[in-house]
Amino acid sequence: MTTIQLPSPGALPDTIEGRPASDNYLTHTRGILSWIFTLDHKRIGVMYMWSVLGSFLLGGTFALLLRTELLTPGPTITESADTYNQWFTLHGAIMVFLVIIPSIPAALGNIILPIMLGAKDVAFPRLNLFSYYLWVTGAVLCVVSLAMGGFDTGWTFYTPYSTTTTAGGVIPVLTAAFVLGFSSIFTGLNFIVTVHKLRPPGMTWFRMPLFLWAIYATAIIQVLATPVLGITLLLLIVERTVNIGIFNPSMGGDPVLYQHFFWFYSHPAVYIMILPAMGIISEIIAINSHRAIFGYRLIAFSSIAIAFFSFIVWGHHMFTSGQSALMNTLFSAISFSVAIPSAVKVFNWIATLYKGSVSLTTPMWYALAFLFLFTIGGLTGLHLATLSTDVHLHDTYFVVAHFHYVMMGSALIGMIGGLHHWWPKIFGRMYDERLGTIACWIIFIGFNVTFFTQFMLGSQGMPRRYYDYQPEFQIYHVISTIGSYIMAVGFTLTAISLFGSFFNGKKAPANPWGGRSLEWQCASPPPFDNFAKAPRVGDCYDFSVVHWDPKLGGYRVDESNDPEVNPAAQGTKAAH
Amino acid sequence: MSQTIATTHTTHADQAHGHDDHAHGHDPHVAHHFDSMAQQFDSAKLGIWLFLATEILFFGGLFVAYAILRMRNPEVFSYASHYLDTIMGGINTCVLILSSLTMALAVRCAQTDRRGGLIVCLVLTFMGAIGFLVIKYFEYTHKFHDNLVWGSSFYVPPHDAEGHAEAMALKTAPVASAAIVVKDPTLFAIPDLAVKPAVDVSAVKSASVGPTGMARASGAPAPAPAALAPGKSEEAHPGTHLEDAKLPPNTHLFFAIYYCMTGLHGIHVVAGMGIIAWLTWRAVRGDFSSKNFTAVDTGGLYWHIVDLIWIFLFPLFYLIH
Amino acid sequence: MSMTHQILAHTASQVSALAAFAQTGAAEPTAPTFWMPVGASTISQGVDHTLDVINWICYVFFALVVGLTVWFVVKYRHRTGDKFRTDYPTHNTPLEITWSVIPTIIVIGIFVVGFRSYLDIYTAPKNAFDIKVTAQKWAWSFQYPNGAVSDDLYIPAGRPVRLVLRSSDVLHSLYIPDFRVKRDIVPGRYTYAWFQCDFPTGQPGKTPRDPNAKVVSGPEDDAQAHRLFCTEYCGTGHSKMNRYVYVLDEASFGQWMTDQSQWMDKIPEEELYFKAGPKIFARCQQCHSLDGTVGIGPSWKGIIERVKAYPIVGDGKEYGTWEDYIRTSILVPGKYVVPTYGNVMPSFKGQLNDKAIDAVLGYMQQLEKFDTKTGKLKAEFDPATGMKK
Repeated sequence: MTTIQLPSPGALPDTIEGRPASDNYLTHTRGILSWIFTLDHKRIGVMYMWSVLGSFLLGGTFALLLRTELLTPGPTITESADTYNQWFTLHGAIMVFLVIIPSIPAALGNIILPIMLGAKDVAFPRLNLFSYYLWVTGAVLCVVSLAMGGFDTGWTFYTPYSTTTTAGGVIPVLTAAFVLGFSSIFTGLNFIVTVHKLRPPGMTWFRMPLFLWAIYATAIIQVLATPVLGITLLLLIVERTVNIGIFNPSMGGDPVLYQHFFWFYSHPAVYIMILPAMGIISEIIAINSHRAIFGYRLIAFSSIAIAFFSFIVWGHHMFTSGQSALMNTLFSAISFSVAIPSAVKVFNWIATLYKGSVSLTTPMWYALAFLFLFTIGGLTGLHLATLSTDVHLHDTYFVVAHFHYVMMGSALIGMIGGLHHWWPKIFGRMYDERLGTIACWIIFIGFNVTFFTQFMLGSQGMPRRYYDYQPEFQIYHVISTIGSYIMAVGFTLTAISLFGSFFNGKKAPANPWGGRSLEWQCASPPPFDNFAKAPRVGDCYDFSVVHWDPKLGGYRVDESNDPEVNPAAQGTKAAH
Repeated sequence: MSQTIATTHTTHADQAHGHDDHAHGHDPHVAHHFDSMAQQFDSAKLGIWLFLATEILFFGGLFVAYAILRMRNPEVFSYASHYLDTIMGGINTCVLILSSLTMALAVRCAQTDRRGGLIVCLVLTFMGAIGFLVIKYFEYTHKFHDNLVWGSSFYVPPHDAEGHAEAMALKTAPVASAAIVVKDPTLFAIPDLAVKPAVDVSAVKSASVGPTGMARASGAPAPAPAALAPGKSEEAHPGTHLEDAKLPPNTHLFFAIYYCMTGLHGIHVVAGMGIIAWLTWRAVRGDFSSKNFTAVDTGGLYWHIVDLIWIFLFPLFYLIH
Repeated sequence: MSMTHQILAHTASQVSALAAFAQTGAAEPTAPTFWMPVGASTISQGVDHTLDVINWICYVFFALVVGLTVWFVVKYRHRTGDKFRTDYPTHNTPLEITWSVIPTIIVIGIFVVGFRSYLDIYTAPKNAFDIKVTAQKWAWSFQYPNGAVSDDLYIPAGRPVRLVLRSSDVLHSLYIPDFRVKRDIVPGRYTYAWFQCDFPTGQPGKTPRDPNAKVVSGPEDDAQAHRLFCTEYCGTGHSKMNRYVYVLDEASFGQWMTDQSQWMDKIPEEELYFKAGPKIFARCQQCHSLDGTVGIGPSWKGIIERVKAYPIVGDGKEYGTWEDYIRTSILVPGKYVVPTYGNVMPSFKGQLNDKAIDAVLGYMQQLEKFDTKTGKLKAEFDPATGMKK
């Protein structure tokens, strides 16, 4: 047995495992070059994190601008419909490509996955760094496209509008999305190989925490779906530059073909966004209920099932496009099948609360918010999968509300919850718990005010992407805009709470929440190589051996009862 | 006050062999985050296979586009494929297959410590790639010369600046809309989208600007069919496609997809050349041995997929009519 | 495809026959509810019913999820110092199967309900009245069998109406919320949408507003109507492509069609410019201003002088007269594009006949008589003669 000294809230011990106690991945090497050329997955993840959060600020600014414009029918803060069109396009493109798709896998996944798995790094660290720089290139190209006149095509770039619009920034942003696609592909590739090949002895598939299952399923989608986006964007660029005519009806092409290509990727893409968030929620709920997750295998399999089904439902974005009734019927029927694994997960999470010991920490509040918001988002998907109601609701604000509930209210909330959950581990500091919880509530309230009204707006018939609207819709827009300002306040407070931890936060123990997955077995922040010795894999959902230690200010794991460690022991409550 | 916590850190691996972070006898070719060369090799293999899957899906999009265009315009594909030189395409196919063979031999040489053979095989593979690109160069330039290109330039008669202007005008001219303002209600009958004729090219009428597509430059009269060389009754003359009465409308689509697919493939060949050159340089430096041939193996797999994609492209464009 | 349609339609009709609820002919449009606007077509009740079914299922599941969550969080709340519970179940196969199977059955049910009402939406009856619709950036044009062309959609009550949709440029989508109908309009092909409304609305200029009517208001101080939107993003004017749908009883509709097809014929040549001009200009106004403001297209202020000054206008040149140039710009706009403007004007061939073009030419010649903001005749001019009062 080796002894490991964990830092207490008071004085710092001199060494941990023979190294200076202050030595962790953040301090192990210094200087900007050590970050620019780092191969450490944790540092790469941290760089992703700042980049993604910065992009979120930018995309959110565009959202506030467009919501402010929508306070009144007619011009409010801009006279130009073109400007408004650029705002909603930029909001969508930045949020989808720069923020939500990379957020959990590239930022949190990069930092946590190897540690949680018990590995020293991802399988291809240089490819990981290259993925990050591809992201940066994509972001730079977005800025270039803004400088070249922006683009007003909507984030979906439907032809023939996107191939004929005179906006100058279309080709740079298409190139940006292309490059970002490869960033996503390489991240996914890295994760798949890591999970397959770098598991330590003892970490079998069914001992992996559910976050890893979720990231794995996401990585499969990233690797298989994103190349189709790549070729679609490439064809769009070629169409726009040399006018080959493949999407141009006057040259024998077909605009709807573009829609098929685009949605073949973009539907699986939304599952890239939600699956990792679901993985985070599994972790947060289990740990904060201090009990094993209910139905581990079913949740693991449902992640894979969702990944599979996501590839065969893309046509439900195109019910009114002139597709035959037969195709519409097939896509509608299969779309309902995706609802089932998602519903099963929700039931499993609720069952995890049953006979648990629920601690209402900030991450837990985010997880509960997720349950509420994802339920609404998922249920309203039923309205859209149903053929006759979708005819009425397609391309209205109802769709906008639905996807914000699942993309923002679920995926983003999951990400922020995960950020709070792992913040102590990543930066070694505790954020202000009370401020964090208040901020979570404000975001939650603001979110519902903003987007629930949009369901009604849409079902009453207001189309989307409208700069101007009929006066009878104004009341809904005013309420929605007020909600968006409330959310802005909430996000600001969250930022203050998190960043304030660098100044006022107390030092974090190794295990502030009582987790049993491997990342809680190393110091906060982790050492540069994660584990000096290969860690021991136990049952990551058996919390019966986790005890609060007031002297540590955190939890510790007592394995004296584990027969693998102590052959004389009886064993603890069994696993999943 | 520091606390000491007893936590177990013994592992089965620990008991099997002493594992610490800077192990003695650590193979310099094994990266630090891997436990062994075997793990590194396995990871690299899985990684490259996943990458190949992405390449297949990437090209897959174009194959789907090909299939849809072909399904909707069968006469275009059967007609225009005659413009491709089957001999040159066939030679290219052989060249690529041979280069795949030399690549596989290179891997074998690396696995069996034959450094000289490895370098020779890599160089031969590289030369095969060059040969492929040279033949492609000739194919492309020949077509550019005859304006067998994508888009509206297809309708420019070769060496004809006026024709170019006309084709540009065609590109920007609005689509002629179906006649509507007539008091005769029979003209309101919804036009039937006629079933496309079967592959018989001679059944296709020559068209002026059609409602859903492009044909020869308007105003150019449809000439009498040019006298074709004996034995080539079904083949079109390169360079005279605009004078061929049998030219189906929207033939430019064939060339659009042809250049997209072969062009993208060509880019991958060039990338492959870069990889082979790098491998050759490393082989000269002596990096590869029977204990470390991962890069050659994975590079070889990439080259094989480049070859495989061509093996699908060749019949789809050159062979089926 | 028709074979598949037959099979699907047959299945649907069988299912319909077994259905418990029968949709009887409604006596009046359904009132707006919390979720849905007025329902005025023959299928709107079916769609609303489907929505209600889905909504109630959602309310139940939402209440279940939120209720259980809140209850469990409160009941199993951990207080600092308490020991953690260890008596929890980690799985329960019968329960997990149940909560997989029951939602599956429910979603199948939702699918069937939606599918049945969908087939009604998709397949137009054989005797439908066809109206051709042209969508372009950023206006609609509705063309009737007798040659009448209208900017708003007029339909006969009590008959199925089929719209034959085409676009001159990019994707658009026709959406009439009150009828629950929507169809994308794809350039290069025809798409169809059908509906039937049994309840006449007003007719602008003829029917006074009924304060008790449930339908959406029409234009200010005018008859009620239903709204028609473009709902596929198409550029700058996407949110301005709103028109009205007027439903007229058979007799009025026939009369309207005749009047509409002849309205310009009845106007003497010399009065065309002020009786027809402003109506036509209302469409041009999106891109062309009257006061010199640069828009998507050149302003009409001083246009005749500018056109006469172009080097391509004049004796022996490409356009003999300025009228010739304007006419070509309306029918084949790409032929000569004014420098610094893009080639974005759609063609009005088929929508503006020779009389209409004459009206536009006359309008341009007497621009000083028209208000630069509204395009209508200025107040000091008599609407009957076009002369100063």
